[in-house]
Amino acid sequence: MMRTVPIKVVLLGDGRVGKTSLVLRYVNATFSEQQTPTIQASYLTKRLNFNGAMVTLAIWDTAGQERFHALGPIYYRDADAALLVYDITDKDSFDRVKSWVKELRKMAPKDIILAIAGNKCDMNSQVDLKDSERYAASIGSSHFNTSAKSNIGIEETFLDIARRVLEQKKALAENVPASTQRKTMVIIDEPPPPPPPSKCCS
Amino acid sequence: MALDESSKLGWVLRHGTGKGYGWFRKGAKTKLRDLYSFSLEVSEEDAAVLNDLKERVKETARVWRAIEESKGACWYSQPEISSLSDSSLVSSLSVATLANAMHLKKLIRKGIPPSFRPRVWMAVSGTVTQRSTVPDSYYSDLTEAVKDKVTAATRQIDHDLARTFPTHPWLNSPEGHRTLRQILVAYSFRDSRVGYCQGMNYVAALLLLVLKSEEDAFWMLAALLERVLYSDIYSENLYGCHIEQRVFKDLLMKKFPRLAAHLDLIQFDVSLITTEWFLCLFAKSLPTETTMRVWDVLFSEGVKVLFRVALAIFKMKEAELLSTKHVGEAISIVQDTTNRAYDPDILLKVAFEDLGAMTMYIISEHRKKQQPAVVAELEERLQRVNSPRSNRPTQVLL
Repeated sequence: MMRTVPIKVVLLGDGRVGKTSLVLRYVNATFSEQQTPTIQASYLTKRLNFNGAMVTLAIWDTAGQERFHALGPIYYRDADAALLVYDITDKDSFDRVKSWVKELRKMAPKDIILAIAGNKCDMNSQVDLKDSERYAASIGSSHFNTSAKSNIGIEETFLDIARRVLEQKKALAENVPASTQRKTMVIIDEPPPPPPPSKCCS
Repeated sequence: MALDESSKLGWVLRHGTGKGYGWFRKGAKTKLRDLYSFSLEVSEEDAAVLNDLKERVKETARVWRAIEESKGACWYSQPEISSLSDSSLVSSLSVATLANAMHLKKLIRKGIPPSFRPRVWMAVSGTVTQRSTVPDSYYSDLTEAVKDKVTAATRQIDHDLARTFPTHPWLNSPEGHRTLRQILVAYSFRDSRVGYCQGMNYVAALLLLVLKSEEDAFWMLAALLERVLYSDIYSENLYGCHIEQRVFKDLLMKKFPRLAAHLDLIQFDVSLITTEWFLCLFAKSLPTETTMRVWDVLFSEGVKVLFRVALAIFKMKEAELLSTKHVGEAISIVQDTTNRAYDPDILLKVAFEDLGAMTMYIISEHRKKQQPAVVAELEERLQRVNSPRSNRPTQVLL
C-alpha cells in the first residue's frame, strides 16, 4: 500500500474574512452565506492524490477575533503550512495578515510554508492586489485570489500548498541540511510563479 | 449499541429505553424541529430519541405543575442551593428549607421543563438578587445611553448577528438581530473590560430563546459572567479561559490517567475542542435540549457542572479514544459524540454518577496552582510578538 503523507495546514486571518467558508468549499464543496463564527478552531481533512503521492491535508480552521490569537500557537506549533486569509473588500484584514506573518516568523516552525489568499474576489476589491502579490513574494509566500462563494482559486491554493510542502519534505528526505534546504526553496519560489490570471476583481 | 445480523440488510436494532428502542433503517434521514424550533436533519434512530425526549419533557412538566399546586408558586425561590455543599451554611438552615432545597436540586438534575425555565433560572442563578440591587430602569437607561455609540465591540457584534444560529427562524429575523444586538451591546458597556467576546453571542441567543425577554436575558448574561462563571473567562486575553482549560486538563489526568496519557501520546491537546465548550457553554456543540439541561444544573450548582459534563463526554468514549492513532480521529469521535448527544439523561448520568467527587474546592485549588503559569505564558507571548526582531537568526527571508 502506498504511504500517505500527512500535511498540516493552519488557516489564520481576521474575523469573517471567510476562513471557514474556504475550508468548507474545499473539503465539502458547500457554501453558506451565513457561516457561523468559529470559536477557537475546527478540524477537517482532505485526501488527495498529488502526482501519484497520496496526501492527507489536515486543515485547521481557527477563530478570527483578536482575543483568540493567544491560542494560535497550539495550532501552528507543528504546522507544515499556514494559509493566511484576508478579505479583499476590507483593507484592515490585509494588515492582519502582515501581523500574522510577523508572529509566525517568531513563533512557528522556521520552515513553515506560507500562502496568502485574498478572499471574496467575487466582490470589488478595496486593496491593491499588486501590492498584496508583491508583499507575498517578499516573504516567500504565494498569493491567490479566491472566492468561497463562486468557487474560485481554492483548489489551486491548496494544491500549491501541498506541492510546496511535498517539495520541502522531499528535500529534507534527501538529507539536505535544513538551513540550506530552506534557501533552496526560496530560490525555487522567488520570484514566485505569477498568480493564475485573475478571473475576477481586475 | 448492539448490532444484529440484520444490520447487513440495512436495518439496525437499537437497544435503549422508551421509544428509543426498536428497528431503524440505516442511513435514512428525517427532518424535524426540536423543542426550541431549531430545524434538524437526523437519522431515524436519533429522531426516535428526540421524540421520546419530548414525551419525557411533558411528563416532567406535569410533575413540576403538581409540586407548584401543592407548595405554591415560587417555591423554588430560596437560599441558593449551590451553597449547600458549604457546611456552615447548611447548619444555619431549617430542616424544612434544607429538605426543600435538596428536593429542588434533585428535580433540577432531572431537568426543568421549558415552561418553568425562565422563572427557575432567574431564581436559582442569583439573577433576581443581582438585579434587585439596581434601579428598575437600569437596563433601559443603559441601552438608551449607548445606542449610537460605535466601538470595537459593537463592530464585532454587528459582524456576528446574522451569523449566530442563522438557521433559527426567529434569531435570523430582523427582530431577533435587533434584540440580540441590544443585549450584547449593553453588556459590552456594562463591563468594558470584557467588551464582547465571540461565544457570548451563542450564549445570549439561547438565553433569549428560553427567557423570551430581552431584559431578563441581559440580566442572566450578567449573572453568568459575574456570578456563575470564573472571572475573566471572556476578557481581552481570555485569561480565565486559559486557566479553566489547564484545570480541565489536570482533572482529566486525575480522573482518567490512562486516557490522558494516550491523548498526550497522539498529541491531542484537548483544549483544541474544550475551549469552545467552556466559552459557549456547550451551546455550539450539544443539541439544544441537552445544552439546556446542562445549563439547568450549571445555574443551580455552579461552574463545576461544566467540568463534569466535559469529563463525562470523554468518559463516554474512553474505550474508543484509547484505540485512536492520531488527533483527527480522536477529534471526530468527540465531536460526533457531542453533536449526537440527543438524550441529555445519558450524558448527565455519567456526569453526576460516574465521575466520583469533584468539589468547587478542588477546582479552586487547581485554578490557584495554574495562575502563575498562565500569567507567565501570556506575558511571554506578548513579549515575543511585540519584540522588534525575530528570535530566529536562521530566518533570512524577511
